[in-house]
Amino acid sequence: MVRLKARYLLCEINVSDRNHLLRLTDTSISAAVKTTVARIHGDYGRALCSIGFSVKYLNAHTGTVFLRFPKRCYKLLWSALPFITSIETHGQTIPCFLNCVHVGGTIRTCQKFLIRYNTQQLRRMLPKCKNEEEKQQIRKAILNCSLTQGNKEAYDDELESEEDEEE
Amino acid sequence: MSVFMDLNLSFTAERSRLRSLIETAAHLGFSTVAINYVHEPTTKKKQEVPTPTPINELIDQLPIVQGRSRPIRVLNRLTVVMSESSYFRPADPAYRSFDLLAISPATEKLFHAACMSYDIDIICVPVTEKLPFTLKRAPVNGAVDRGVVFEVSYSAAIRDSTMRRYTIANANSLMESCKGKGVILSSAAEKALELRGPYDLTNLGLLFGLSDKDAKEAVSSTCRSVLLHAESRRTANGIIYTTKSCSDSSCQQEAPDSELCDAPAAKRLRPPPRVTDS
Repeated sequence: MVRLKARYLLCEINVSDRNHLLRLTDTSISAAVKTTVARIHGDYGRALCSIGFSVKYLNAHTGTVFLRFPKRCYKLLWSALPFITSIETHGQTIPCFLNCVHVGGTIRTCQKFLIRYNTQQLRRMLPKCKNEEEKQQIRKAILNCSLTQGNKEAYDDELESEEDEEE
Repeated sequence: MSVFMDLNLSFTAERSRLRSLIETAAHLGFSTVAINYVHEPTTKKKQEVPTPTPINELIDQLPIVQGRSRPIRVLNRLTVVMSESSYFRPADPAYRSFDLLAISPATEKLFHAACMSYDIDIICVPVTEKLPFTLKRAPVNGAVDRGVVFEVSYSAAIRDSTMRRYTIANANSLMESCKGKGVILSSAAEKALELRGPYDLTNLGLLFGLSDKDAKEAVSSTCRSVLLHAESRRTANGIIYTTKSCSDSSCQQEAPDSELCDAPAAKRLRPPPRVTDS
């Protein structure tokens, strides 16, 4: 059975200042990855990046991004990701770094992992809450997490509001 | 899930920077980090070995490691940059307050002596310049047999492109001599943005010439063996370990003190973990 196989890297973008996260776009991330791969692996890497690489999903509130690479060269392109030091959007340079959390064969497996990871992040935020109302919100969000109901956007917004309140 | 460690975080005098470094390391999943104090003695004036600030002064609440329920463990480490053999004095009592000892040798003779006979845990491979001497197999294998590991730090590679070439070149020549055993990867990070996650590091190890398995070990099990080696180096023959008991307990999980036990350090009973939950 002939099948085009790919690897999806689930990465988390860490910035020092959370307000900058909202300005990221998928074109800017794609450009940053391509320039870094060109810097590290030269023309060969840049050529490998031109077919098969794309940014499939970006959540600017939590800084989560799905990158798609073709299976035969994903390790080489992955090894260039630690060298990303900043991303350029709208004329601004945001210093950041990418942290790869999971590698999956399909978007669906990555999504399943992302839901578990986000529930874990919500649980980590629970002891840091300042008042009872926030705790109730987080507990409700944790209970709501599941794949079938399509609630991913719901608790992503919770994440964003909780993270802003906890600053 | 294995334990990941980053044994080289540069010490900065700014508390907030150090605190953000430790928090980022805990967020990325490192369960142990070591704050590195670099000591560079010169013949011109006698310099004192820096004393480490106690951890509870630096940061009051240690953050919980991502994916675990324990707080992050922070150790102190001293790196002596040696250009002459008289600079390293293992009997110096100032060395006792550090958990890990490292050496950065500058000449071939020193490198040979450090591998074979010095009482240390880590030998730093230079990454900011061309290797001043070739790494021969004999001292490298002698060091690996003794339990001393070689350290390659990667944050210079992230900062600058010429450093990147030196890092990759030196790391590859090290891997040729040591066949991938006894290597640890660590950042010499000064800012929180220079740290990288453990799976990214495993992949970076491939660029340095390690195989898949060796690269994963370089971030996890070899680091753990360095810690055990350091613990047994501080005890007398690996059996008795005494420490001054302080009145307020710190958050770290210290080994039980003044206990005569004939089990090796790995099998000694640890105090039960303190679970911080709401």
